[in-house]
Amino acid sequence: MTNRAAALLAFCLIGAGCGGKTNDGAGEIVYNSSANAVEIQALQSELPEFARESGVSVKLNPFSGQEKLYAMIAAGQAPDIFYTNAAVRDRLAAEGHLLDLRDVSSGDPFLDRLWPQVVEDGRSVDGGLYSMGNWSFTAGVYYNKDLFDVAGVSYPDTTWTWNDMVGAAEALTKDADRDGKPEQYGLFIPSHFIEVFEQMNRTPIRKNALYVSIPDESAEVYRKYLDLMDKGIMPDLLTVQAMGMQAVQMLAGGKVAMLVEAVPNQGLIEALQIRWGVAPIPRFGQKPPSYFRSGSGGLSISARTADPESAWKALKWIIAGASIYQPNPVLRDADFVGGWEERYPQLKDSGFRDVWNLSLEHNGGDLRSFVRYSSWTSARILSLLQPEFDQLWAGRITVDQLRSQIPSINEQVERELRNDVTRRHWKPEFRDAVEAQLARLPQ
Amino acid sequence: MNQRAGLSRLKAIGRFVGWYGVLIALGIVFAIPFLWMFSVSLHDLAGVFADPFRWVPEELRWSNYVDAVSLLPFGRYLTNTVVITVCVLIGTVLSSSLVAYGFSRLRFRGRDKLFALCIATMMLPGQVTMIPLYIGFSKLGWVDTFLPLIVPAFFGSPFYIFLLRQFFLTIPREYDEAARLDGAGKLRIYWSIILPLSRPALATVALFAFLGTWNDFFNPLIYLNSPENATLTLGLNMMKSQVMGTGVTQWHLLMAASLLVMIPNIVLFFVAQKHFMKGIQVGGLKG
Repeated sequence: MTNRAAALLAFCLIGAGCGGKTNDGAGEIVYNSSANAVEIQALQSELPEFARESGVSVKLNPFSGQEKLYAMIAAGQAPDIFYTNAAVRDRLAAEGHLLDLRDVSSGDPFLDRLWPQVVEDGRSVDGGLYSMGNWSFTAGVYYNKDLFDVAGVSYPDTTWTWNDMVGAAEALTKDADRDGKPEQYGLFIPSHFIEVFEQMNRTPIRKNALYVSIPDESAEVYRKYLDLMDKGIMPDLLTVQAMGMQAVQMLAGGKVAMLVEAVPNQGLIEALQIRWGVAPIPRFGQKPPSYFRSGSGGLSISARTADPESAWKALKWIIAGASIYQPNPVLRDADFVGGWEERYPQLKDSGFRDVWNLSLEHNGGDLRSFVRYSSWTSARILSLLQPEFDQLWAGRITVDQLRSQIPSINEQVERELRNDVTRRHWKPEFRDAVEAQLARLPQ
Repeated sequence: MNQRAGLSRLKAIGRFVGWYGVLIALGIVFAIPFLWMFSVSLHDLAGVFADPFRWVPEELRWSNYVDAVSLLPFGRYLTNTVVITVCVLIGTVLSSSLVAYGFSRLRFRGRDKLFALCIATMMLPGQVTMIPLYIGFSKLGWVDTFLPLIVPAFFGSPFYIFLLRQFFLTIPREYDEAARLDGAGKLRIYWSIILPLSRPALATVALFAFLGTWNDFFNPLIYLNSPENATLTLGLNMMKSQVMGTGVTQWHLLMAASLLVMIPNIVLFFVAQKHFMKGIQVGGLKG
């Protein structure tokens, strides 16, 4: 019996030994790339050359999701470079987990290669620079050219308006048996793109707001959005969920004629086998346009990195050198549109160039909900607000009823933030900045 | 008389058809996701999105299976998964049965309280222990090795301990006494009497442990860092994640890979089905 048990134990230990080594090698920079097979392969094939040229060895630690990142931070083993979005970056910075990139980037001409918004979006309330934008995209309306041709509707142009879009959607909606369940809908706007339209309607949104507000311009957009479902020209969100359909699936399968999505969207481009084009987000009447451009997140360097200079070199290479991310839209000198048209010839004559250039010309920045509200309150606000929005989109409450909930949500948020400021182990400059904001609130 | 017999025969046939009708209908409901997976694995990406969905694609793309395994170092991930699963299987069966033996056969002070304490640990959600455990394993230098996934299996699992204890209690004590008269000690009784008589329960525990480990995503995600150490479930996730947050998952390839990953589960279940059912019934999990 003893021999058998010993043999089993030996087997287990041999097996366990196959698990490689811990990744605390000296002089090695650990990069938390996303857990994507194509991305991992592409990076791994280029890392040896980067190591030869720069003397910096980069090891990949690919994973997605924040649970693991928080566990690693708690254990003092955070990757040297990892992705943070605006909602978590400031908190991690306040708790001292992120390196102020000014320490390593000061005087580096690399900063001049970036669009100014990219650098500005990485700053926190203490003036520190805690992340460097590594990608950017805008939004647009993808449309099925064949369905437009059949319906005799002209393709959207760069100056089209919300009313033009609704008119096209009405003409493109087909309900042959008139049972109220169209076989083909004119349009689908996923609810997480609603902010893009608020932005276009010139909603006065203050970035990093501590509290929720729903200005009249936002309320107008919400009502128009609900109208699309009431008119039956857009599938209601519950139906889409019940059908288990992805938005892309609906456009690719001819279920909808127009779809609001990210531009560019690599997967969508690869999946669509229809004749398609992409138009800018429609304007609201005569109001000057303000296009969405993402800028909510980027790469941060851990405050515990053993070699900040090497981490900075690696970060710059990831943004401007690694071919999988090139041409990178955060770089001013990159021919982003040309590069993508070369990679995906179907983008030529699709309207992609116009959409992209308009977003640069009338750059409204990133006003998505988790950026709109400050890092200190966004998680709580969204957890309180989202169920109300779900009710609104399901038609169970009205926009006015939603707005009437706002004071109680804000009271709760303020109470919790005051607790947070006293309880959390934030660096003094962050605590002072948030306390100052709190002090300015009308009592 | 004949009429009555004919009537009762008709009733029996009606019951038979009724029950089997319900069972077949339920079977179809449960089989549909699996059939959908299989069908999608033979489509191209556009076919996955087609409306209406064609259950049998015009062109059966068996090459999806080759493409799916070439997208990832599938062999490496398979080896990693097998090593972890086999080790966990051995550790779980050995340690849980030994502890269950103690709780069912040995008499000592506080035994029942200890057993209750052991069972109570099942109430602790994994999220609560995740960060302390991670810190502990990282201080041992075990992160990015298979050890955090394997070693805990050698310290027993409360659910399996409970299952095996209930089974051991059904084995007559007379066997122990007879063995003791022949000079067997406690460990000899455990090894030569209890374990051989508990094959159905051990098969159940082994099957549960296999399924739990083979399909485990969360623990490998937390403890393994290097791509070369990844398991099959992490590999499948790599097919699902998107570059720069945009993109469409290659569902046809993902489903092909998922089916390949599922094969050992299905085979093992059918092979061990008899033991598994018996173990569940006698082990105290019967309703």
